Amino acid sequence: MITTPSLQITYLVGVATVQDLGRQGYRALGVPVSGALDLTSASYANALVGNEVNAALIEFVGSLKLRANEDLVVAVTGGLPKVYVGQYEVPSWKPIYLRSGAELAVRPSDRGNVHYVAVAGGVECDVVLGSRSTYVRGGFGCLGRPLKTGDVLSVGKVDVDGLWSRIYGLRPALNIDVRSPKVGEAVVVRATRGVHADQLSDLEVLLRSEYVITLESDRMGYRLDGPALQSASKLGRLPSIPTDRGYVQIPPDGKPIVLMSDAQTTGGYAVALHVIPPDLDILAQARPNCSVRFVEVSVKEAEELTSKYLTELEKPLLTVEESDEYFA
Amino acid sequence: MSSHEVRILSSGGYLIHVDVCRDITPECVRSIHKLYYALRKELSGIVKELVTGVTSIALFYDPRIVSSDELVKKVRELWAWSQRIDLSEIHKPRSFTIPVTYGGELGPDLPSVASWAGLREEEVVELHTSRKYTCYTLGFTPGFLYLGEVDPRIAAPRLETPRVKIPAGSVGIAGKMTGVYGLESPGGWRLIGRTPLQMFDYRRNPPIPIAPGDIVVFRSVSMEEFNRLKGVYVGDYNA
Repeated sequence: MITTPSLQITYLVGVATVQDLGRQGYRALGVPVSGALDLTSASYANALVGNEVNAALIEFVGSLKLRANEDLVVAVTGGLPKVYVGQYEVPSWKPIYLRSGAELAVRPSDRGNVHYVAVAGGVECDVVLGSRSTYVRGGFGCLGRPLKTGDVLSVGKVDVDGLWSRIYGLRPALNIDVRSPKVGEAVVVRATRGVHADQLSDLEVLLRSEYVITLESDRMGYRLDGPALQSASKLGRLPSIPTDRGYVQIPPDGKPIVLMSDAQTTGGYAVALHVIPPDLDILAQARPNCSVRFVEVSVKEAEELTSKYLTELEKPLLTVEESDEYFA
Repeated sequence: MSSHEVRILSSGGYLIHVDVCRDITPECVRSIHKLYYALRKELSGIVKELVTGVTSIALFYDPRIVSSDELVKKVRELWAWSQRIDLSEIHKPRSFTIPVTYGGELGPDLPSVASWAGLREEEVVELHTSRKYTCYTLGFTPGFLYLGEVDPRIAAPRLETPRVKIPAGSVGIAGKMTGVYGLESPGGWRLIGRTPLQMFDYRRNPPIPIAPGDIVVFRSVSMEEFNRLKGVYVGDYNA
């Protein structure tokens, strides 16, 4: 009997979807880019299991358990989650050999927010408009809906033992602590001025104050609470402009919304700031009740930082730790 | 129209926003479309993605390949050039017919548009179907069409309180624009009818055949025809 490798979701509390690095090229038709909220963590998770960085993986907020139905290699990234194989705790941000029948459990710690489970071979599902990312509101991409307990995800076939001999001991050359905000900690994100910055007379308020991430935050946007920008309500209804993840919108109530991966492609709210891509990944790791401070950077600085970021996203920086080997 | 200067803003380290005009007018939209197709023609090798809004255009670029300064310079040159030519020289618009069943359950705001206009419902339908609309842009949600310009007599403002859920295919009016919801979504436009056509199909590429600058006309159809055409893809209907 030929079996396809697969992973079954045996437990889920929270929200999980299949994502990759996003659906590029269809914004002009109103299709959101979707993709991982923290692209850096997604890219590293794939690199740690020998996948191409854009392979489909599981993104989730909350707690998740998965059972392997064949020998698989997986890696868990995004913040600093607690990871177990059976009853043994194993490290995040490292390849894990998961024997057939073994159960992988991931629980949040007090650091980070959104986690990724990559599996060697990648989660297999149809490519929709160039991507396997799930866009739940549109009902398309992979399963077209959030994952639920009992779902079985097919995995691309790989020579697991051959792969393991090449990748065991891999770890990222990355300061994971810095990109895993602790609950209650303030996250500092760098941003350039946004499209309507010149028209917001009290933009300084946004740059001087601390804002708190509210519970009404999801893959579409992080809603922040803090001092309101009064000038936004005076602008009235603006013509819809093309928008993107990282845009800091100010609706008439003056409370900022940072657009995230599932954000709509156009919007009519004033755009005060634009968070640079590397820092948006870190913001994604901040949980509700964490606070955020915005720091302004120039377009030149933003271009330099984004260039470095894009290169790292395409080719994550990995080193090898000879001593450890994780079997389960 | 005169070739005024456009306002260009760079942000995020990878995006350029070009504000073409302040108000949504057919003239503004025409100059946007000229610039959009000029940019597509001349910069497709450099720019990753081009997106139109109703009064602006966004360019997504890779800062490792080109800088904002270089791109802004190119956009200014192309703006000046594009405004001197005829749109048909760079983009041949296609025409689409969209069948719509007006009023009743499918168009719950037709009575309010009629009373706003001081007209009978049939007259609203008559005015809505008698114009050739230009596709201003797509956006908001997958396949949502912004079309204009609506006859000023029926240009009723959007609803005070948006609806949470609007069925796919709903046709609405918001001021001088009329629109079609590609997928089920929330929204605040006044719904006057619904098309039986499937406007957005993610299994096709592109998932919607209508592009900015294309022409759309609405045709009033009976409930029987609505049921007969239910689910036909807009591209197949207009093939």
